[in-house]
Amino acid sequence: MSVKVHFLLEDLLVEAPEGTPLQAIADAAGADITFGCRTGSCGTCRVRVAEGLDRCSDMGAEERDFLKGLDAPPDQRLACQVTVQGDVDIEYLGL
Amino acid sequence: MTTLDTLLRDKVLLLDGGMGTQIFARSPTLEDYGGAALEGCVDLLTERRPQWIREIHESYFKAGADAVETNTFGANPLVLGEFGLSDRAYALNVQAASLAREVARSFDRPRFVIGSVGPGTKLITLGHVGYAELLASYRVQMEGLLDGGADAVLIETCQDLGQIKVAVRAAREAMAAKRRRVPLWVQATVETTGTLLVGSDIAAVLTSVEPLGIDVLGLNCATGPDEMHAHLQTLSEASPFRISCLPNAGLPVNVDGQVVYPLHPAAFAPKVLHAASEFGLAIVGGCCGTTPDHIEALAAGVEKLNPPKRTPKLERSAASLYQSVALRQEPAPLIVGERTNANGSKKFRDLLAAEDWDGMIALAKEQQKEGAHLLDLCVAYVGRDEVRDADELLGRLATQITLPLMIDSTEVPVIERALQRSPGKCVVNSINFEDGEGKARKILDLCKTYGAAVVALTIDERGMAKTREEKLAVAKRLHALVVDEYGMDPGDLIIDPLTFTLGSGDEEFRGSAVETLEALKLIKAELPGVMTMLGVSNVSFGLNPAARHVLNALMLYHGVKHGLDLAIFNASKVLPVAKIDSEDRRMVEDLIFDRRADGYDPLKAVLARFSDRKASLADDRRADLPVLERLHRGILDGEKQAILADVDEALRDHDPLKLINEVLLGAMKVVGERFGAGEMQLPFVLESAEAMKAAIKRIEPHLPRESTYQKGRILLATVKGDVHDIGKNLVDIILSNNGFEVRNLGIKQPIEAILKELEAWPADAIGLSGLLVKSTVIMKENLHFLEEQAQRVPVILGGAALTRDYVEGDCRRSYSGAVLYAEDAFEGLRHMQALVSGDSVVPAPAPAASAAGEIKIIKRGAASVPLTEAGQSSWVRQDAPTPQPPFWGVRELADAPIDLFEFLDEFALVRNRWGFSQGAQSDEAFAAVLRDKAEPQLAAWKARLAAAPLFQPKARYGYFPVRAEGDALRVLDPADRTRTLAVLGFPRQGAGRRLCIADFFRADRTDVLALQLVTLGQAAADHAAKLYREDGYADYFAFHGLATELTEAYAERLHARIRRELSIHHKDLPGRALFAQGYQGSRYSYGYPACPDLEGNGPILDLLRGAEIGVHLSDSHQMDPEYSTSALVAWHPQARYFSV
Repeated sequence: MSVKVHFLLEDLLVEAPEGTPLQAIADAAGADITFGCRTGSCGTCRVRVAEGLDRCSDMGAEERDFLKGLDAPPDQRLACQVTVQGDVDIEYLGL
Repeated sequence: MTTLDTLLRDKVLLLDGGMGTQIFARSPTLEDYGGAALEGCVDLLTERRPQWIREIHESYFKAGADAVETNTFGANPLVLGEFGLSDRAYALNVQAASLAREVARSFDRPRFVIGSVGPGTKLITLGHVGYAELLASYRVQMEGLLDGGADAVLIETCQDLGQIKVAVRAAREAMAAKRRRVPLWVQATVETTGTLLVGSDIAAVLTSVEPLGIDVLGLNCATGPDEMHAHLQTLSEASPFRISCLPNAGLPVNVDGQVVYPLHPAAFAPKVLHAASEFGLAIVGGCCGTTPDHIEALAAGVEKLNPPKRTPKLERSAASLYQSVALRQEPAPLIVGERTNANGSKKFRDLLAAEDWDGMIALAKEQQKEGAHLLDLCVAYVGRDEVRDADELLGRLATQITLPLMIDSTEVPVIERALQRSPGKCVVNSINFEDGEGKARKILDLCKTYGAAVVALTIDERGMAKTREEKLAVAKRLHALVVDEYGMDPGDLIIDPLTFTLGSGDEEFRGSAVETLEALKLIKAELPGVMTMLGVSNVSFGLNPAARHVLNALMLYHGVKHGLDLAIFNASKVLPVAKIDSEDRRMVEDLIFDRRADGYDPLKAVLARFSDRKASLADDRRADLPVLERLHRGILDGEKQAILADVDEALRDHDPLKLINEVLLGAMKVVGERFGAGEMQLPFVLESAEAMKAAIKRIEPHLPRESTYQKGRILLATVKGDVHDIGKNLVDIILSNNGFEVRNLGIKQPIEAILKELEAWPADAIGLSGLLVKSTVIMKENLHFLEEQAQRVPVILGGAALTRDYVEGDCRRSYSGAVLYAEDAFEGLRHMQALVSGDSVVPAPAPAASAAGEIKIIKRGAASVPLTEAGQSSWVRQDAPTPQPPFWGVRELADAPIDLFEFLDEFALVRNRWGFSQGAQSDEAFAAVLRDKAEPQLAAWKARLAAAPLFQPKARYGYFPVRAEGDALRVLDPADRTRTLAVLGFPRQGAGRRLCIADFFRADRTDVLALQLVTLGQAAADHAAKLYREDGYADYFAFHGLATELTEAYAERLHARIRRELSIHHKDLPGRALFAQGYQGSRYSYGYPACPDLEGNGPILDLLRGAEIGVHLSDSHQMDPEYSTSALVAWHPQARYFSV
């Protein structure tokens, strides 16, 4: 099964296999998302999942702790921690 | 009628300036005082020279003050007693207040009289004066002020937390007696050391006085306005009371033997006004060295200020004399040390019987070291005078222990004496309804008077509540009394739903743990805000110590999961659940949750399983194991001391080479696997490596000559242009402790030098490391070079910016030898093992974009932002007003930070730098690792660095006029703007927003660029090198991470200052959000994605003249010494991180 990822900032639409890490998709497609530590603790790659939040992998405690520290709304994720299970629209926020 | 309170709702209140300064300006003579014996009795001048005092009040009112302070700073019986005038205290206060009232009345708009109450000359906390005596003395003064007509009482210039609480109580009692309630204000005096004279920080003051329900908490005296910022910030964020600030006219300087306060009115006023708007002050004025001119200078600005709006957030806490401790710890629970308890600890009881006070204090300090957050203190011992013992012990303990206290007694007089002896905010343990509400009320009266939190047990007239429903019902009744009736904050009510032992087998208590756990959940759900506590170790009474250890740990674990906030526990015996044997755990959990079945009784199973085990489980169990198994475990557990004896024993019967190859390396292999599976954290891995090193050192002399356990050789280097040491050194540690010979060439190594070394020391592989984005390019160039030299030596690449695709694709195509990617040190180890075993082949380059194979771009929108005529991204708005810097050019930061840890991003330190990541662990197991390992490690480093300071933080920063020119910034000379100092070029994004750092500055007019540079100094870099040399792997790794993060913290702090100075600090977010660019603008450092090229550091260092603080540029354009960092600061609201 393949899924579609839409990077809203630059209107970039990408197709990838279900379960692909979002960072791999962003890297491969050259999306305008800046990654820092890639381990879920620096927050540089924060995104808003504008569509398809329930089609993203669950959060680990690491990411949850981090976003909680920022009082981030529930539709925000760290792109480096997400694998994509279905079609999603992604808006890059950054730190 | 306008009252003080209504006025405070409308405006910022302006108080007067110094009284003493004005009196001494009149050079009082002996005649003025009324004789030599009375010289210096300033309070007496109200009576002897009323005209002076009247003039002084008038001058302040004329200057614009809304209120003046009475001349009663020392007018209490204790201070006046030094002049033999104790009995005049009441009258002098009445006179002073009436006189000020009279002056106030002669002005047309509402003017007020504030009754000044000074700290006196004796410190109660240090035992200079008794509680009752001090209370009585203040009571007289308060009554005089009230009768004289004071509109508020101001307990000011407080140096002693204990004194504040006594004075507040005296004021309350006087108001009750006089049936006249006026606002009660308190002002603490924070010295340049950052604490009150007796050592309390402002958070401890806030926590301790907050339950007393005052109206204003502020600061006065000791320092000028600038030095008060950090403390005002604390109050601004947390205090529910209005904030006042009456600074001195700067820090006093000595000029020709005269004490001079340096801030003139014109300099003083803007600083105070700035503080008022920044920290939401409600009341401002002046203290020592300030005059009516100072107040006049303030008056115009104060009129323009709006009454402050703050949304303070106060965490419920307890406090010692020194510090405040939040009751809700993250991760939970807060540990209440249980060993200073005559009922629970035989050692403590024996010390008490011997009246060995020092011994008891030592026991208290031990618990502090073990990680307790609070100390439970119980001196109840049959046949002894409990009140006297509490008095004796607390009189000593209060100043010697930094942890808050839990007063554990059922006797009202004991509790009262203990509270009088404890200057901070205590927790009283406990109340219950066993004999109805009478006794509980008496104890709650004390909690209200002395400002304490309270533990409440779910016991009522029918006895101890056993079911969850009974427990909840009693909890609700406790809540009704404590919160609804007594008006205490629910967070100061700590409900203990009781723990019964599971060890008796008594049918009635088989399900008691489940009931307690469920009750915790119900209480937290139904009584929002209340805290919960358990005496956890009660659960295992009657069992043998080994079983108790495991049962206690699991009860604690499940308690926290059910909502437990505080646990009375022996802090040294906290056992991480992850370390419990799985069968032990299953059985003990069956006992807790009463999972009996036909023919299976978990209690019997636990009794049988633990019957032959001794108390200190790990050690004794190990002693029973065969020696080789002990060695294996010694490596896994990183026991670098204990392992030596096992090595010695093993050497008697075993071949040394075999020990290394089979046992020790076998254990390291398990370490590697666990690390790879995310089950073991990097710091534990390093401890294992240290144990390995210690063991091998011990074995080496026994190895037969000519024999070697070395498997192969590797040359390691960080590539040219990169100073990052740590990743490469981790690889060194792991490889060298897994039987490989490592030659570590260090950092910034050109490939030519590496190759030369290879010729002299043939190795099986070269390992190249680098952290920078640029290093990935250098690595590829290096491979090209090796190819040209016709080399075939395998190359292993590792580093943060590398990806597997890049290495296995691009890099492999550059070189005919093997090119291998190592995600971490253990993958590097696996490569080395494969290489030396000879069964590896040169892997072929991965097809281009292999991982991206199935990732297809369907549409790349035309959403590329156009550039403006000036060549800037049109995504960036150019409508925000350019801020004005407070100065142009460069300054050195004069006030080196007292506490670098203040801005430390602990989250990043622990997770990123120290490598505590969750991996495959459960949330609970990871929380336990954080609690048991990471936090104590951080606390230990803080203590270590406090004892032996290694940091010499220095910083320079400056503001430069700049103009954007396309992709560059032209930096102009502040003194002559026609002169260019530098042109800084930046890369631009190729698509999308097409951003470039220059876009955040104006092209059409002069803009402001801030530059900053911080360093921790050479000694820190030297220390890191020393730790590494001496094989202190875990220490080295931890120190390096900490120093790196503290450098960042210092940069963060300087950046915050720059934002304040540019007045763009209003968007600063609290807490961790600040570290995630929770502010306006951005701080860009070279080497990061928006400006990856390190060469930019050169012009920055030149502009800031970094050499003046010992920072130089290395050949590879990085800063030396190591723990230094520079940055460009953009103020533009749209400036954020991005990558080009």
